[in-house]
Amino acid sequence: MIELAWRNLWRQPRRTLLTLAVIALAGAVTVFLLALQVGSYATMKSNTLRIFDGYAQVQGPGYLNDPVMRRAFGRPDRLATAIQDIPGVGTAAPRAATYALVSLGPHSVGAYVVGVAPQAEKRVSSIPRSIHSGRYLQPGDSPEVVIGQALARNLGVKVGDRITLLGTARDGSVAADALTVRGIFASGVSTLDRQLVEMPLSRFQADFAMPGMVNLLALSGNSLSRVQAALPEVRRIVAPEHLVVRSWGELEPGLEAAIRLDASTSMLWYASLVIVVVILLLNTLLMSVLERTREFGVLLALGMRPDAAAGMVWIELLLLLTLGLSGGIVLSSGLVAWYGTHGLALPGASGVFAQWGLPSRMYPQLSAFSLLTGPAAIAAATAAAGVIPYLRIRRLQPVTAMKAA
Amino acid sequence: MKKPLPHALLLLCFALLSHSVQAAAPDPTALLQAALHQWRGDSSYTELTMVIHRPDWQRRSSLVAWTEGKSESLVRFTAPPGDAGNATLKHGPDLWLYNPKLGQIIKLPFSMMAQGWAGSDFSYNDLAKTDQIVTDYAHVLGPTGESDGHTVYTVDCTPKPDAPVVWGKVTLRIRDDDVLLGETWFAQDMKPVRRLETLQVAPLGGRAYPVKMRMSVLDKPGHWTELTTTKGRFDLKLEGYLFTLSNLRNPRSWSAP
Repeated sequence: MIELAWRNLWRQPRRTLLTLAVIALAGAVTVFLLALQVGSYATMKSNTLRIFDGYAQVQGPGYLNDPVMRRAFGRPDRLATAIQDIPGVGTAAPRAATYALVSLGPHSVGAYVVGVAPQAEKRVSSIPRSIHSGRYLQPGDSPEVVIGQALARNLGVKVGDRITLLGTARDGSVAADALTVRGIFASGVSTLDRQLVEMPLSRFQADFAMPGMVNLLALSGNSLSRVQAALPEVRRIVAPEHLVVRSWGELEPGLEAAIRLDASTSMLWYASLVIVVVILLLNTLLMSVLERTREFGVLLALGMRPDAAAGMVWIELLLLLTLGLSGGIVLSSGLVAWYGTHGLALPGASGVFAQWGLPSRMYPQLSAFSLLTGPAAIAAATAAAGVIPYLRIRRLQPVTAMKAA
Repeated sequence: MKKPLPHALLLLCFALLSHSVQAAAPDPTALLQAALHQWRGDSSYTELTMVIHRPDWQRRSSLVAWTEGKSESLVRFTAPPGDAGNATLKHGPDLWLYNPKLGQIIKLPFSMMAQGWAGSDFSYNDLAKTDQIVTDYAHVLGPTGESDGHTVYTVDCTPKPDAPVVWGKVTLRIRDDDVLLGETWFAQDMKPVRRLETLQVAPLGGRAYPVKMRMSVLDKPGHWTELTTTKGRFDLKLEGYLFTLSNLRNPRSWSAP
């Protein structure tokens, strides 16, 4: 039966090739677009999170919604060591943070001051690598800070200047310190560049009266998905300390919402594309069935059962789909592989992308999901639509069919 | 046929009527000015204790404060030792801080005026006792009540159209002897956000004074700051050097005359 269907296909090579081309192209387009999307989501997530947040964080229970310094916890090193032992998690960087007034001479600006462990911080955040003048903090630094570029500009601060820090310590007393600016960073994220001050954790703990305590641990690893997969284990470790784990979506709800919105609107596009392709194929198929009415009449007169004849046409359709979609997948894999390494430059995109910390080139990402979802949707929808010619053939009467044009 | 009312009676009626109208509806703006004046005088020297209360901790500190007119004020911490010496000077529109550990004066940006002062629930604006409430708001008299044998007036203040104000409304309760009994701040959606309550009125420096006041943050239960005025002198002659940067940095010894 399959051989018969196969032979039937190549009795009309031009039509078959054209149909195959349509299927292959449609398949390739869905694969490529989906790969592009998955790739840009992955870049968006990891680039945004790698700047400062980390792939996940361990925090005190209410800290996410009310990030005040008082919600701190002790013994961060012991916890960090235990968490770093979990496969998938690379680093757990301790941080303490508060808002304070930073000033130089007559200029004062409210800033987000974060105490960091320089070595661990380098593995979690890209800020240590985005130093634009001076240098990042080193182990052993004490009365020293690195500050964002826009903050430095607003204060009129250069590397080497001494700025003063004034805030409220954890016990409610006045916290004050004079610190030397070691470096100025340009992370590319305007809120960070305008607000963030990083100083050595130990100095922070002394200034703000929270010895040995931190507000959070920022986690990183080789990939977001591996860290994500390790979170249940992290949760198990920190639960006895009454701490909670915040995933990337909780840390960057805006990013998660943006991705979800983008994904749902593009699903509409994919659905319309699939529908158009299915209607196109159905049209060709019906035409060919009409054309071949006489042939079916002869087959039926020779004793072929009507559903066998109808099934034969359906198998022809399945063969077309298999061939076409495999071609499409091969074609798009090639494209994705090429652009995945070389990047796809979109004119005018850099400004929009920068706010999510994206480079101006997009890198499509090949995965089972991006490779198979589109073709599977096309195959399923077309195979289902094949019911229409199937029913049509089953209703044919041998004599009238043979008399047809 | 109607009997004409005797003239004398008519006059009496008028007199009573106009008197009662006067008693029932004082000018709300004048009420505010009087309450502010009662609170800070033309000048004042006060000694205070402050308790900052949070659900899981509380902190007590002591301070002294001088004010003159509507725009000059100096507040200095005297205890606990860790905070002693920290001071805030408001001079004209500018706000300055002095920290003894740094030995430095820091000028605060104007935007900080509405922020919490020294970790408390009072803002710099509250503390400086500015008359922004008089100048930037339109005032309407609200319902009148009774407390401790005094009449209590309510004044609803809505910001003037172009006033630099974040609140939707501010409501004050003022006793008929000009003592401020309470103040409630409403957000733009008219939800009450913070409340100042007078917990105790007592004679101080020769006037009835709200000696104990508590500021509460309404959406955070257990967050409040209490200010108790232990000593007060009003309308005294203050030396000009008090409200200068050099006195902020190097305080001259001063004792109430």
